[in-house]
Amino acid sequence: MSGHGRGRRWAVVAALVAVLCALPAVVAALPADDADVAAADLRDAVLASGGVGFSGYAVSAGGLSLPVSDQLPAVADLLSDRVQLRVWWRGEDEHRVDVVGAAGETGVHTDPAGTWTWEYESATAERTGPAPLTLPAPPDLVPASLGRRLLSEAGDDELARIGARRVAGRDALGLRLVPAAAASSVARVDVWADAATGLPLAVEVLAEGATMPALDTRFLDLDLAVPPAGVVAFDPPPGARVRQGADPGGLLREAADRALSPGRLPAELAGLPRRTLEGAPEAVGLYGRGVTLLAVAPVPGRLAAGVRSALAAAPDAVRDERGTRIAAGPLGLMLVDAPGAGTFLLTGTVDLDALADAAAALTGAPS
Amino acid sequence: MIGVELRKTFGRPRTWVTIAVLNALPVLVAVLLRLTDLAPRPGEGPPFLSAVLTNGQLYPLAALAIVLPLFLPIAVAVVSGDAVAGEAQAGTLRYLLARPAGRTRLLVAKLVAVLAFVVVTVVVVAAVGYLVGTLLFDARPVAGGTSVSGTSLTPEELAVRTLMAIGYVAVSMLGVAAFGLFFSTLTDSPLAAALGALAVLVTSSLLFTLDAASPIAPYLPTRYWLAFVDLFRDPVLWRDVVRGLALQGVYVGVLLAAAWANFTTKDVTS
Repeated sequence: MSGHGRGRRWAVVAALVAVLCALPAVVAALPADDADVAAADLRDAVLASGGVGFSGYAVSAGGLSLPVSDQLPAVADLLSDRVQLRVWWRGEDEHRVDVVGAAGETGVHTDPAGTWTWEYESATAERTGPAPLTLPAPPDLVPASLGRRLLSEAGDDELARIGARRVAGRDALGLRLVPAAAASSVARVDVWADAATGLPLAVEVLAEGATMPALDTRFLDLDLAVPPAGVVAFDPPPGARVRQGADPGGLLREAADRALSPGRLPAELAGLPRRTLEGAPEAVGLYGRGVTLLAVAPVPGRLAAGVRSALAAAPDAVRDERGTRIAAGPLGLMLVDAPGAGTFLLTGTVDLDALADAAAALTGAPS
Repeated sequence: MIGVELRKTFGRPRTWVTIAVLNALPVLVAVLLRLTDLAPRPGEGPPFLSAVLTNGQLYPLAALAIVLPLFLPIAVAVVSGDAVAGEAQAGTLRYLLARPAGRTRLLVAKLVAVLAFVVVTVVVVAAVGYLVGTLLFDARPVAGGTSVSGTSLTPEELAVRTLMAIGYVAVSMLGVAAFGLFFSTLTDSPLAAALGALAVLVTSSLLFTLDAASPIAPYLPTRYWLAFVDLFRDPVLWRDVVRGLALQGVYVGVLLAAAWANFTTKDVTS
């Protein structure tokens, strides 16, 4: 064979490889069409997208290493790992979200009367009723519902447009929320909403001082057709263990049982006004607005001991005369002993100084 | 020429010894499971292994899942690495090429023989798995099964999905076969070719577990191997299955082109 033929044959192979390698980059570089929509109008479109039915495949990457991995492993995994979600959405109270793993899955089927949670690994189906306070669950990570939740109380002056990009093959308009509250630990929230329906397709949450998102969730595939009811509904299969779910660890009930006189919690903490929380026990206080929230809850001794040891063992906890506190991304956490009132857990998207101010207000110490 | 190569592959005792050894591990696992009744906790160990104690019909899948990560690729790498380099080492390659059939056709014939080996091996593992599963464990021929998503599958659905999974595993091995065949045209040593293909697989498996390598993860040849589990979700999650098929197609196409470019212009001296 001649050297010429050899060169030509290898050139064919090299060209083939070059084309194949370039394909993903070319697809990724397809430009997105921006539209002339004002930030406030885009927020309104997002908030009105709750009735849009769709099915899709989303990936959520969380960077929060919560100090509760022993007590609440499911929550810790959800917020610290890369999670693949299959979503079928017929409406706010009728949807199904599967967390897909390499050798199993956890399916959360929501209907107006409650939620079925199917776990393949343990062949268990758990039924829970609606609750005013719940732990983070897979449906909360779906970009559509997360985007609506984070923008729900955003003021006009906190919003700005940030161009457009392609998400799941669709044109998505960018909206940036920079919380106005000084105490906020969230630097910004970027929501990319579908230009046609307002449905949030991607959400990035960035903590103050961070370069990587604390939470990044986006659709990879999206089909804007209402999925059939049969896919969303759930009947426990034969042979499955069926059980009734309680509220997380009985915490809500215990909190309600605590003999705390109403009005014990101040009307304002760390510059954030108290807000009412429908259905929650009086002893639990929620402060702030939008993405800047601070929760104050009395905790029973056994739980307090666990949190205390987790805080003590955390290498990046801040320890000074104002108390020990820790930040996991934008989420701050602190344990406060109020004389005569028991132990309180302070947590929320506020910075560590705001946590210390709130603790001082609770204990009556000078801040 | 294809017929000659097929007869050569399946006429060799060592082909059948390889297949027999490949079946030994799933059979051993089944016997141990039967004797001890200690299934791995669901979600641990190979996929589907925890379910076979209650439904032996799932054992073909468990058997494939057991051999998929290591044994099956080793067997395919050895056979494909031997394809051209084996002839070179035995000194028979130049006689083969003396025939007027041409080098491209020889390459195609070798490829078909390797593919046939892959398909036969996967089918035999699944068939032995079915026999072992139904003999040793409770078979529920009418009850069907439960999908990963917690819905009930009829026996027909279960059978169709099992067949699709067997096909998918066979296709997943094509990339290994293509690497083996390409390396086999580079060297005169079948061992070097097989080890080369295995080195690619070990690298791929290792990178897949590494977060830092996530940008290239979708292009790793082993990335979608376990996607056959997605066939047992309800509705079927086609996303990774389709990507897995396309990725294997790309690897086979590129490596065959490279093997062709190298082999048809190579100086054959042995």
